[in-house]
Amino acid sequence: MAGTGRETVRAAIRQVRPIMSTDFWEARRRALGLYKAFYRYIPYIVKYFDIPKTENDCRWKIREYFYKNACVTDIRVIDLLVLKGYMELKEITHSWSQKGHIMAYWQPTVERKPCDFICKFLTGVD
Amino acid sequence: MLRQPLSRALALSSPARVAPLAARRYADAVPAQPEKVEVFIDDQPVHVLPGTTVLQAAAQVGVEIPRFCYHERLAVAGNCRMCLVEVEKSPKPVAACAMPVMKGMRVKTNSDLTRKAREGVMEFLLVNHPLDCPICDQGGECDLQDQSMAFGSDRSRFTDIHFSGKRAVEDKDVGPLIKTIMTRCIHCTRCIRFASEVAGVDDFGTTGRGTEMQVGTYVEKMFLSELSGNIIDLCPVGALTSKPYSFAARPWETRRIDSVDVLDPLGSNIVVATRTNEVLRILPRTNEEINEEWLSDKSRFACDGLKRQRLVTPMLKDSRGNLAPVEWEDAVVAAARALRDCPPDKLLAVAGGLADAEALVALKDLLNRLGSEHVCTEHYFPTQGAGTDLRSSYLLNTKIANVEDADFVLLIGTNTRFEAPLLNARIRKAFIHKETDVALVGPKVDLTYEYTHVGDSASIVKDFASGTSSHEVMKRLQQAKRPVVILGADQLKSEEGPALLAYTQELAHKLQENLQDKEWKVLNVLQRTASQVAALDIGYQPGVGQALAAGPKVVYLLGADSGVVTRESLPEDVTIIYQGHHGDVGASIADIVLPGAAYTEKRATYVNAEGRAQQTLVAVSPPGKAREDWKIIRALSEVLGAGLPYDTLDEVRDRLSQVSPALVAYGDVQPNNYFAQARALAQSLQKPVSGKLDVQLKQLEDFFMTDAISRASPTMAKCVQAVLKQKNSPY
Amino acid sequence: MLSSLRTGVKGLWRASSRALQTSSTLQHDSLFVHRDTPEDNPNIPFEFTEQNQKRVDALLAIYPEGHKRAAMIPLLDLAQRQNNGWLPISAMHKVAEILNLPRMRVYEVATFYTMFIRRPIGKYHVQVCTTTPCWLRGSDAVLNAIKEATGCEVGGNSPCGKFSLSEVECLGACVNAPMLQVNDDYYEDLTVEDTKEIIEKLKKDEKPLPGPRSGRFASEPLGGLTSLTEEPTGPGFGVQDGLKA
Repeated sequence: MAGTGRETVRAAIRQVRPIMSTDFWEARRRALGLYKAFYRYIPYIVKYFDIPKTENDCRWKIREYFYKNACVTDIRVIDLLVLKGYMELKEITHSWSQKGHIMAYWQPTVERKPCDFICKFLTGVD
Repeated sequence: MLRQPLSRALALSSPARVAPLAARRYADAVPAQPEKVEVFIDDQPVHVLPGTTVLQAAAQVGVEIPRFCYHERLAVAGNCRMCLVEVEKSPKPVAACAMPVMKGMRVKTNSDLTRKAREGVMEFLLVNHPLDCPICDQGGECDLQDQSMAFGSDRSRFTDIHFSGKRAVEDKDVGPLIKTIMTRCIHCTRCIRFASEVAGVDDFGTTGRGTEMQVGTYVEKMFLSELSGNIIDLCPVGALTSKPYSFAARPWETRRIDSVDVLDPLGSNIVVATRTNEVLRILPRTNEEINEEWLSDKSRFACDGLKRQRLVTPMLKDSRGNLAPVEWEDAVVAAARALRDCPPDKLLAVAGGLADAEALVALKDLLNRLGSEHVCTEHYFPTQGAGTDLRSSYLLNTKIANVEDADFVLLIGTNTRFEAPLLNARIRKAFIHKETDVALVGPKVDLTYEYTHVGDSASIVKDFASGTSSHEVMKRLQQAKRPVVILGADQLKSEEGPALLAYTQELAHKLQENLQDKEWKVLNVLQRTASQVAALDIGYQPGVGQALAAGPKVVYLLGADSGVVTRESLPEDVTIIYQGHHGDVGASIADIVLPGAAYTEKRATYVNAEGRAQQTLVAVSPPGKAREDWKIIRALSEVLGAGLPYDTLDEVRDRLSQVSPALVAYGDVQPNNYFAQARALAQSLQKPVSGKLDVQLKQLEDFFMTDAISRASPTMAKCVQAVLKQKNSPY
Repeated sequence: MLSSLRTGVKGLWRASSRALQTSSTLQHDSLFVHRDTPEDNPNIPFEFTEQNQKRVDALLAIYPEGHKRAAMIPLLDLAQRQNNGWLPISAMHKVAEILNLPRMRVYEVATFYTMFIRRPIGKYHVQVCTTTPCWLRGSDAVLNAIKEATGCEVGGNSPCGKFSLSEVECLGACVNAPMLQVNDDYYEDLTVEDTKEIIEKLKKDEKPLPGPRSGRFASEPLGGLTSLTEEPTGPGFGVQDGLKA
């Protein structure tokens, strides 16, 4: 009885069909590739969408979004996230999304607006 | 329908205008007003003074009679015939603009005859008028369009179009500012009357006659006047339009914002027309007290300098010594560090000519919190004697509007034609209509009217003041019932400046004592820039000479571009922080550059030469990363830890009213006194003077580029070139 | 309905006659703007001669102080006469200087009046009247004769530079039509031969006899007097007895 249970479990831990990457390092490479692609497109984002953010702001935002998913270990999930990331990058590079979509990454209803004088001054709010 | 509203016609024929003495409360015996006559306009009775015209009487009732050639501020011509109205018992219609009313006149402004006359006149005007509406700049604000819609007939009987066609006239070249397409001219002669009466440059006229009559300068001559842009407003059709503004926009596309002009010290009221956050043109706004409805060329056309040479990012000097763009945080932190590390007595602030009162008070507050008292203006004013403590010593006490009631004007060391063109227009108005005489002490310049040139030595003023002069002007001054003495503030920067001011005060005091009219003020000092009066009110030290000699370590320039502060006059290790809107002289010597907003981009207070506070409103947003001036100073103060107590504009204005309530009393002039006290304090300064009085702006080519905005303007550059070219012409 | 049809057809027909883009027709022979030419520019000095200066002073003396402006037309005429029949720009400047007026006011007056000529003109300014009375009496022939004899175009100068021809409005000598005016003299009752004779004489710089060429005196009737044939009546003619002194 125990032997059949162990065999079932051994059989359960079998290879699932990979989405793209076969092992963790490949998945890591893909994720880093996505990061680099976003990072390199930042000057164009700032320029073409005319957003009131600096390149530095964009870099920190990308870092933030990547760090949100830092604890994921499942390779298929990592692959899917990377694919979704590439989909968003594609929308940005083709200009299918607009300024509003880019600015939504900063989630203004979640991020606080500047309220004291110096913050308002630095961001240029009236 | 009419470009200028009915209220203007009313205002100009109102009792205040017709009998100004009564309204301005002079102590002269006011002659009793003659009895009014009753006139019936469209069966409505109205009582008017005898001598008003039918057109003005109708305006009082509220009836607008269409016209092209009549203008309230120019002589009556009566040549367009559009104002024809039917008057009972008259065999033909009469020109309402020229016909004085008679007792019991019954005027019908909407009868069949009147309408037929209007349609007929309109038909004739349109016979030779080209079909240019789509390409004409005046479309949308054209009197001819409006009146033909309202009063013209709907069809034309002009069959000659198939044979000899319409008349065509050559375009005339009158300069880089005015585009002339004389085919559209309807010969109303408003431009001719303006050039002859108001501008004083008799260059326009009608040559030829009949169909071939041409309005122009006959020879190839440029219209060289500092008020030349006003004929663009006057022309009812698109014959004279603005060359820089040609084909730019239609009037219905533009947003119009009221504002105030800061390129000369008078603070003429303007309307800034913008579209898509770009200033397209500047038009005058009627203000009877300051500029009537005229505007000088520099104020009108220098607006394209607002787009060039702008400072759009904060800049810091990098390791190689070049100014590199940085973010606001970095610049503010660097500036704050420099201010904090500077010993208080080595900290200097200099305010330039275009600085607004809010920025001035913020800067002074900041420096005072840091322990420094060295806040200066670029232009000098003597501080000996009463100095700037008594407001009457540095203002135009006889207000600009009252100058036209003067009967003798003495100008000392000032060329009002180029320093304050609209003040000169007022003096000219008095000269033409009221037999005022003018005398000038200073270099002989062309003021567009005849004056007695007394000489250019400063000792003449001394002789006048002490009464020892034997010149005939002395007698005229003493006999005048309303004399005006205008002293140019530029003369006070020499070593003899205090003495000159003292003598002028003495002279003005002597004249004022003997006047019958106790409300009339004689002494006037004409400042050169729009910010000087506000700065002196707030408590700035006039003149930087002394402060520069003390060797400051940090110099804060608030738009100081006149070249008074140079790197050579300062020690080697100085840090210069420049806050302004144009990359002019100040920014080129700076170590830290903080971009501010120009006068069309901020809501700011400016006090004009008479002491009248006015505000500019926001027409466009500041370009790039530029911010409002007082906000930059407030941010600096916060980073420094010496936070200023105001966060919003209203709070800054409360602070301004704490300093002086006159600074926020918009549109009013406070009556100033203490002339006797100022003179008493200055008596010890009456030392002998021997210098010669000289003015900076002698010729028209000096007029166009006097401050950062006009120096950056390509239109102004073209004007200077055209004026220099015209000098070689034999005409 | 028919009338509107007619108007429509006429419109179509007319439209075709101006279908080509042309410059606008010139309606006057002189251009009312000034262009500097080698003969007529402000650098050529103009001064009144000594004798003319005396005339200038006399003219100015007619008008009271403050109204000297009224002397502008006589002064311009004097300048024109001094300058061989045309008015250069420097003469206008001089007149403006004498009268202490802006130059534009002088330009306005000079261009308004057709007798002020603003271009260099020949020694003999031949002006032919071509209005109705003269035209009915054959001014066309006179004009053509002059054109042939001098080689002038109407409104221009002759190749030799001595003559200028212009067509003018009625000169007031309708009784003696056709007629022409040369400088200040009228030559009336012309035939083509008379005209040719006059031109020949002028070419030789001899002054032809002014006045009617038909032998009559001024505008007296051709067939002898029809009125004033008797001695004039004395005082008291036709007065009733009761009023006779």
